[in-house]
Order: sequence, then structure tokens, then C-alpha cells
Amino acid sequence: MIKKLLATFLTASLILGVCGCANSSGQEQSGGNTSSTDTVTEVDPSEPVTLRMAWWGSQTRHDITVAAIELYEEQNPNVTIEYEFYDFDSYFTKLKTLVASDQVWDIFQLGGNFPEYIDKIYYMNEFIDNGTIDVSDIPESYLKITQDTSGNQIGLSNGLNTYGIAYDVDMFNEAGVPLPTDNWTWDDYKNAALKISEATGHYGCSGLASSEFIAGCSTYIGQQGKVGEYSFFNLDLTGMGFDDAQMLTPYIQMRADLINAGASPDAGAEMEITNIENDFLVTGEAAMTWVAVNQFPTIYDICKEEGRNLALATIPRVSANGPAGSVIQSSQMLCVSQDSAYKAEAAKFIAWFQTSVECNQILNGERGIPVADSVRAALEKNLTEGQQIMYDYVTLVGTFETPEKVNVLSPDGQDEVVDNYRNYIQQVVSGEITAAEAADKTYADAENLFK
Amino acid sequence: MKTEVIKAKARKIFYSNEMVGYVFAFPFIFGFICFSLIPIITSLRYAFTDFSMGNKTIELVGFANFKQLLGDEIFLKSLGITLKYVFISVPLKLIFALLVAFVLTRKTKMQVLYRSLYYVPSLVGGSIAVALVWKQLFARKGLFNSVLADMGLGTINWFGDQKLALYPLILMSVWQFGSSMIIFAAGLKEISPTYYEAARIDGANTFQSFVNITLPCLSPIILYNLVMQTIQAFMSFTQAFVITAGGPDNGTMMYALYVYNQAFKYNHMGYACAMSWFMLIVMCIITLVIFKTSKSWVFTESGD
Repeated sequence: MIKKLLATFLTASLILGVCGCANSSGQEQSGGNTSSTDTVTEVDPSEPVTLRMAWWGSQTRHDITVAAIELYEEQNPNVTIEYEFYDFDSYFTKLKTLVASDQVWDIFQLGGNFPEYIDKIYYMNEFIDNGTIDVSDIPESYLKITQDTSGNQIGLSNGLNTYGIAYDVDMFNEAGVPLPTDNWTWDDYKNAALKISEATGHYGCSGLASSEFIAGCSTYIGQQGKVGEYSFFNLDLTGMGFDDAQMLTPYIQMRADLINAGASPDAGAEMEITNIENDFLVTGEAAMTWVAVNQFPTIYDICKEEGRNLALATIPRVSANGPAGSVIQSSQMLCVSQDSAYKAEAAKFIAWFQTSVECNQILNGERGIPVADSVRAALEKNLTEGQQIMYDYVTLVGTFETPEKVNVLSPDGQDEVVDNYRNYIQQVVSGEITAAEAADKTYADAENLFK
Repeated sequence: MKTEVIKAKARKIFYSNEMVGYVFAFPFIFGFICFSLIPIITSLRYAFTDFSMGNKTIELVGFANFKQLLGDEIFLKSLGITLKYVFISVPLKLIFALLVAFVLTRKTKMQVLYRSLYYVPSLVGGSIAVALVWKQLFARKGLFNSVLADMGLGTINWFGDQKLALYPLILMSVWQFGSSMIIFAAGLKEISPTYYEAARIDGANTFQSFVNITLPCLSPIILYNLVMQTIQAFMSFTQAFVITAGGPDNGTMMYALYVYNQAFKYNHMGYACAMSWFMLIVMCIITLVIFKTSKSWVFTESGD
């Protein structure tokens, strides 16, 4: 009996011992982190530095980003960059676990959903002010697109971007539908989609579900009333930017009508689109799709090889003379992490990534139109056809009247609202609820985020 | 003098038979405590908080998470779907496994080969790769639809219709009957051939001897498989995550997938923990019911 007890005790102490070790080393690590948060130490240039970096995107993006990283390592032999890349959803799942364990990558990519991770972002103002990094090449207005309302530099933008509709010119002609104009309306859009699907048997419009909410539903609100009167969320992201849930109804009704008519993919078909490269527009089964315009050159090239001809149209408007609702924004940005032991080194890399001509000749504007003047000038010299269309389009959207202040950010928890919103549309399609009820429910869900 | 006594005692402990057992069991004990027990206990604590992974502040909220569960439409829907999935897939899987195992008990040279072949789906079944294959098979222009179209039957929109979408997932689970089959096969071997001989002499046909000898003798193993497969079915995640992502309109939102979404996608870790504990209770009740009823249908040779 005593022997048994002893044995149990021994085993237990062994385990506790191991746990104890793990614990104390963990504490040391977190202790190290907090101290480095307070003071950013300059690194001796010969001292080896290892930075961890991560991003999300397509295969093309992974390949060119890795090539750019290798170039940086070559130019800065003391720096080693360990990189990881994911698709969009996995990236954020991984990021959330790293946030919980205080081990966020030194350099990480964020989009309009950064407010959720604001505690983990180390502002770059300090490095700009003390000259660690030189961003004089980036115009003030483009630095602003990645600042918060109090002027903190959250990160440096990877490029300018806006939403648009990519369409297949030949399919429009084949169906005898007039090509979109710069101020076409949602009615024109719906009619075009219906006619094309009737005439060709293909979908009139398809699209990544994740783009649709922002490019369609949320833009639709901004297009109503006067310029800047309404927005989906309010400017400081503390509540809704419109009062009447029924403002959403016509849009939801249109989406459901298109799906019911077979002019837009239903939930099952939508599941088959996993990224822009296998969108139904690219596979030749749809005439239109939503894109963030930085995605356009890639799909333009793919379709060109198959002898098809793509073009970019603006997001349709509620009325032809009304607000466009589109804004030019940052595609994504690179940020320095609070958990980083080498914040200055991380900032240096980010500045190089956004302002070096050599680096951007590899990146080639795949993340959006570069923000640094010299880089943009260098790349403009030899644009591909697809890139030329993207540049022209962004210039066009830049001429639209926009409100003085816009909010392109997503509040914490928006994913749940979007998932529910998509389910409500499916319930409208199956006749379970009406579009008006779907609008009410979506509004209630969104409002709930701020309670 | 004293130290010698201690030394002797220490030697006794280290060279005892039990110690060997503990040393060999250590990797499991270590893994169980660190990766199962501790997370389970912390999750119980989180179930009563508003913990989210992005946010470091944790507040106690009492039973608020559990109250919220009752009003959550998607939660109730996912519970219903999961129960439907379990009640259809588990019996089908067991029947299929038993039939195949029964057929394969006949002594042929190919027996081992066939058993291995039927076991393969279980080996690869949980993987992402097979789920992706399944997604392609049932896609709009997938294999099943092209076969249907070629036979002039018209295509079926498997994943677009919420009444249909669950069935491909159930079929995938049934297809992975291998591990239950192996256990059934082992059980079948244990049944004494004298019973069958006696039955044959009395003029029983194969069906009669199957119902009156095989099933009763196998009932303890059926119970084991039933419990294990039920628990496994409640936890299924990969298929719904990869093939349908819970759609259409949450028609395949399995319980485990909704827990995952709440924890990692919508950032409500506390709520997700509460859901997990609720599922634990549901599973306990169902298992308990199975065990209670088992007395009336499980045959033990010792008898009572």
C-alpha cells in the first residue's frame, strides 16, 4: 500500500516537475516581451536577426512574396525571415491563436478588419519620426489610408484598391446586352444578368461570397440619399450608419430573384468557388463577378490565354445620378507586432517592401497599386493589358464624388453578421422569409455588434 | 544508517514491477493530463466567462452563455441536424459493417485481401483529401450527376438543397465502416461452431441461424460498436467543414462545426466552451440510455 502511494507520488511529482519547467520558461518569455514593448533597442547591424512574417493570398502572391523576401535577405545578410502563408480564413484562425498566446508574427498582414487586433499592433509613428524608416516617397494622403482616426500609423499600405465588377465582353455581346456604362444602375445589372443567363445558359453574375457583402450590400447603403449621408457602419465604428433596415430590402430581393432565376449561383454552386482563380467568370460559366480590382490582372491573363476578353465595370448605383458609393482604399497593409523582439527591424523591412523599386518589380502590383510615387512611376512604364485596365479603373473611381470622411473598416464580429446575412438570403430564396424580414434580421444582427 | 534505509527503500521502488508500468505509461499520462485533462478543466471555467481569443480581458458572466444557447436558432438547428445525422448514419453503418463482416467470415484465400480492402476507407476517411473527393463527386458537374444525366434522369443539386445536403455526408460516414467491421469479424470468430452445427442438424437455414445464434452471441460487441460509433458521430467535423462549410442555410451545420465557428471565427470562445459542455451532457444521457436498455437486448453467456 505504502509502495503504491509512493509510486503515485513520484509519478505525480515527475509530471509536476515537467509542468513547472514549462511554466517558468513561459514566464520568462512573456517577461521578455513586455520589456521589449517599452523600449525598442537598436540592433547592431552584424547581429543576426530572425523575423517571422505571414500573409494570406493566392499562389501567385505566395511565389512573388517569397522571391521578394529572398532578395531582402540577400541585401541584409544578418536578417533571416521565416515566412508562413495561408488562405484568408486559415490566416485569421492562426492569427487568433497567436494573439491568445502573445506570439503574433513580427510582420503581419491586415485588412479593414484591423480594429479586432489593434492591441497587437505596434504603431509605426515612432520609426517615422526618428528616421528609422523613410516614407517620404509615400504621399501624405496614402499614408492616411492606413492611419486610425487619431493619426496613429497602423501600418503601411500594400496598395490602393477598390471594388468593381469584372465581366466577359463577348458574353454580353452574344446575349445582345448593352455593355455597362460608368453609372449603370442595379436595375441594369439585374436585367443584364437575367438576359445573359436566358440567352447563354450560363450564370449572369457569380462571385466570391466574401466580397459580395462589402462590394454589394454595404455599398448599396452608401449609394442612397446624398453623398455621405448614409453608410453601413458609422464613421467611428460605434454603431450603424443608417436607421431604416428597409433600405436593404430591394438589394436582398434582387439577390434572391437572381438566384431563383438561375442567373446567380445558389448555395451549393457558390461552395464550389474557393478563390478568385476558380470563380465561374474565370471558368467561363458566368458573365460577371465581384472583384477587388487587384485581383483583376491575374484573372484577365488567365482568360486572355483562353481567348476570352474581360473588362472592368463600376459597382452599379441605386440611381444613375446618385452617389457611386465606391471609395479607394488600402487593399491590405503590413503591420509590426507588439510581440516582436525586433520592432525596428520589422519596420525597416515593411518600409523596404512598400518603397523599394527593385522589390516591387518582383511584386508587380499584385496586392494593389503601389502607394510610393517612385514605385508607381517605375511600374507604370511596363504595365500588362490587365494592369492598364486596373490603373484606368482606379483613376476613374478616383474622379467620383466621395464623402469627406469614409469608413471602410469592419467591426469585431462582422464575420457572424455576414454568415447570417447569407443564410437569410437563402431563406428568402426558399420562401421561408420575405426580403423585408431578412433586412430586419440583418440590421438587428449588425446592431447587436455594438451592444 | 538512516540514509542506507532510504537508499534501500528507493531501490525497492525503482526496481519494483509497478515502476516499469508507470514509466511505460508515462507518455500517455503526460499527454492525457497536458492535452486533454487541463484543457477540459479550463474549458469548464471559460464556459462561465465571456472569453474570446482576440481579447485578453475575461469577465465572469455566470450562466449567461447557457441561457443564450436556448435562444440561439442556429444552435437549436445544429443540434437537430446532428441528432438526425447520428440516428441515420450509426445504424446504417453498423448494419453494413456486420453484413460485410458476416460475408467475409467464410474461409476463402482472398479473405485477408478483402478485409484489407474494405478497411482502407476507414484509414483515409477522416482526411481532408477524401472530403475534397466527396465534394467533387457530388458537385453540380461531378461524377454522380454525370451518371444521372447520362441515364436521362436529370441532375440533382446535392449541396444546394438543404433537405438533401446532409445525405452525402451520411453516406461518407457509412462508407467508413471498416473499424466496426474488423471488431465484428473478431467477434464472429469467437462464436463456437458447435452452435451452428446443432442448428443445422435441427434444420435451421442460414437466416434463422443468423438471427437466433449470431445476433445474440454478438450483442455485447454490437453494444460496444454502437456506443463508440455514436460518440464518434456526434463529434464529426471534417466533412461538414470541408464539403459544405455548414451550408446551405445551415442545413449541414454539425454541432462540432458550430462550436468551431463560435470559438475561432466569431470570437466567442466562452460561448463555444459552454456549447461543448452542453454536448457532453447530451452525449452522457444518450450513452446512459443505450446502457440502460442494453440489459434487455445484450446476451451474456454467464446469464442471469
